[in-house]
Amino acid sequence: MGNGIATDDGAAWRNGEQFAWRGHTAESGEARHGLGGTRTARDTRRRLQLVLGGIWLLDAVLQYQLVMFTRAFPRMLAASAPGNPAFVADPVTWSARLIDQHVVVTNALFATIQLTLGLGIAWRPTLKIALGASIAWSLAVWWLGEGLGMVLTGRASPVDGAPGAVILYALLAVLLWPAARDRPSPFAAGRAVGTVAARALWLVLWGSLAFFALTPASRAPQAVSRTISGMASGPPGWLAWVDQHAASALLGRGLAVAVVLAVAFIAVAAGIYLPVPGARAALVLALVLAAALWVAQGLGGVFTGAATDPETGPLLALLAVAYWPARTAGRPGGA
Amino acid sequence: MGGPGWLAGTFAAVMIATAVYCVSRLVSARRWRRPTDYDVDGVHVLMGVAMAGMLVPRLNVFWDSGWEVIFAAAMAWFGGRVIRGYRHHPARPHRAPHDLQHLLASGAMLYMLMAASARSADSGSAVSMAGPSGSRFPTLALVLALGLFGYVIWTTDKLTSLAPVAALGVAAAAVPSAGQTGASAATSGSAGTSGSAGTATGVGVARVTPPLSPRLAACCEIVMGVTMGYVLITML
Repeated sequence: MGNGIATDDGAAWRNGEQFAWRGHTAESGEARHGLGGTRTARDTRRRLQLVLGGIWLLDAVLQYQLVMFTRAFPRMLAASAPGNPAFVADPVTWSARLIDQHVVVTNALFATIQLTLGLGIAWRPTLKIALGASIAWSLAVWWLGEGLGMVLTGRASPVDGAPGAVILYALLAVLLWPAARDRPSPFAAGRAVGTVAARALWLVLWGSLAFFALTPASRAPQAVSRTISGMASGPPGWLAWVDQHAASALLGRGLAVAVVLAVAFIAVAAGIYLPVPGARAALVLALVLAAALWVAQGLGGVFTGAATDPETGPLLALLAVAYWPARTAGRPGGA
Repeated sequence: MGGPGWLAGTFAAVMIATAVYCVSRLVSARRWRRPTDYDVDGVHVLMGVAMAGMLVPRLNVFWDSGWEVIFAAAMAWFGGRVIRGYRHHPARPHRAPHDLQHLLASGAMLYMLMAASARSADSGSAVSMAGPSGSRFPTLALVLALGLFGYVIWTTDKLTSLAPVAALGVAAAAVPSAGQTGASAATSGSAGTSGSAGTATGVGVARVTPPLSPRLAACCEIVMGVTMGYVLITML
C-alpha cells in the first residue's frame, strides 16, 4: 500500500510505526494488549512470537499436503505406539484409528487449527488465546500423535528428533507468554516465568538431549549413520549429498558421535549459568548444534511431502535466541 | 499439485473472490476518488486469476507464457519501486519491506508458473499444478514459501495498527490546514503517484479523503501469501 494514500495511514503502513489516526504507536498498542516489559526485551519477545507464529503457519501448510489426507497419516501416528507403555500406546492407537475413519475431515481440521494458531499468534488481540491454545494443542499432539516423542521407549534419539518437536512449541509458548507483569530477566525467555525457572527449563531440555544421545539405541555403532542416511533420499541434491556423506563418515562410529553430542549438549545446558560471555558461547554452540541436527534430519523432511513439521532444529535455534542475554546485562541473572 | 482436488478448488475460490474484491477496489477508488494502491490492487487481481488457473486448470483464462511475461514485468515494477525507495529515502530503509513483499510475491508467481510450464513440458499436459509433485529447484521454492510466510505473519502483526476507515474519516475531518502540510509531505514521501486526497476546503481546515479499507487490503495480502505458500510447499 502506501502509494496514493494521502493520509498518514499510507505512511503508517509503509513505516509500520506511525499510527497517528488512532493516536497511539505500535508500542502503545502493544501495551494495550498486555505485552508489557522493557522496550528492548519486549521487542525481542514479540519478534520471537512472530517467528513461532510463522513456524505454526508452515506446519499448517505441511499438514495440508496430499499424503496427510490419506491413510498414510494415521499409519504414521500409529507407528509411535509400539514400545510405549500402555498409558501412551493405547491412546495413540485409539486416536490413529479414529483419524483413519475420518482422515479427510480430521486432517483438514488439524491443518486449519494450526493455521489459526499461527495467524492468532501474529494478530495481537488474539495472542494470548492462541499461545494458550498452542500449549494445549502441542501437549495433546505430543501424547496422542507422537507417543510422548518416544522418550519412554528407549529409542529416542536427538538426531531423530527427540524429545519431539511439538513439545518445543509448548515450551516456547510458555517462555514467550506476554505476562501482564514481566519479571526482570536479562533474556526474553525469562520475562514470563522468571530467570531461575527459565534456566531450569533450559537445563532440563538440553540435559535430556544429552541423556537421549547416550541411550543404548542412540550409541549403537550404526545408529546415527542409519538415521541420517534415512533422510538422504530424494531432492534437493545438495541436502542428499551432505546427508549421504555425513552418514558414510559416521558409519560404525555411533558411540563416538553419541559421546561428542552428549558432551556438547551438557556444555550448552550448563553454559546458561555462566557469565554473559560464557553464556553467549554456549548459545552459539546451541545454534550450531540446532543447525547440524536440522541438516541431519533432512531439514525436517519438508522435501519429502510427508513432513508434519520442520522438526526440532529451527525450534532449538529459536529457543537459543530467546535466551540470548541483552547487551545491558552484566550477568545472566544479574538484571 | 500435491493436494486434494477439493482443497485446490477451495483455494481457487478464495483466489477468485480476492481478485473480484480487488477489482471492486479499483472501481471504487476511481468512482469515489478514494486513494488506493492501483498497482498493488491490480497485481492482486492478476495473481488471483493466475493462481486460480494453476490450482484448477480449467480456470486458466490466459496463455501460459503470457502470465510469465506479466509477472516478470510486475517484478521489474516493484523492484524499481524498491530501488527508488532506497534512493529517495536512504534514511528510511524501513519503507522498503512493503514493496519487497510484492516483489517477492511476483517472483514466487513467476517461479510457480515456470516450474509448472517445465513440468507440463515434461508430461505433455497443460500448465497446472495438478501433475505430480516435485520442482527442479525445491530449495528455492522452500525459501520463497518461507519468505511469503514471513510476510504473512508481518502483515498480520500490523493489522491492529491500521486505522479503520471510519476512524480515518473522522480524523481527516479534523485535520487543520497546518496538518495538511504534514499529510501532503507524508503522501509525497510515500512515493505517491496518485496522492491527490488532500484538498483544502476552507480557511484553516483540510478535507482529507480516507483511503479504501487498508485492513481489507492487508487481508488480501495475507490470503495471497498463504495460498502461494501452500502451492510452493506442494511443489517441493
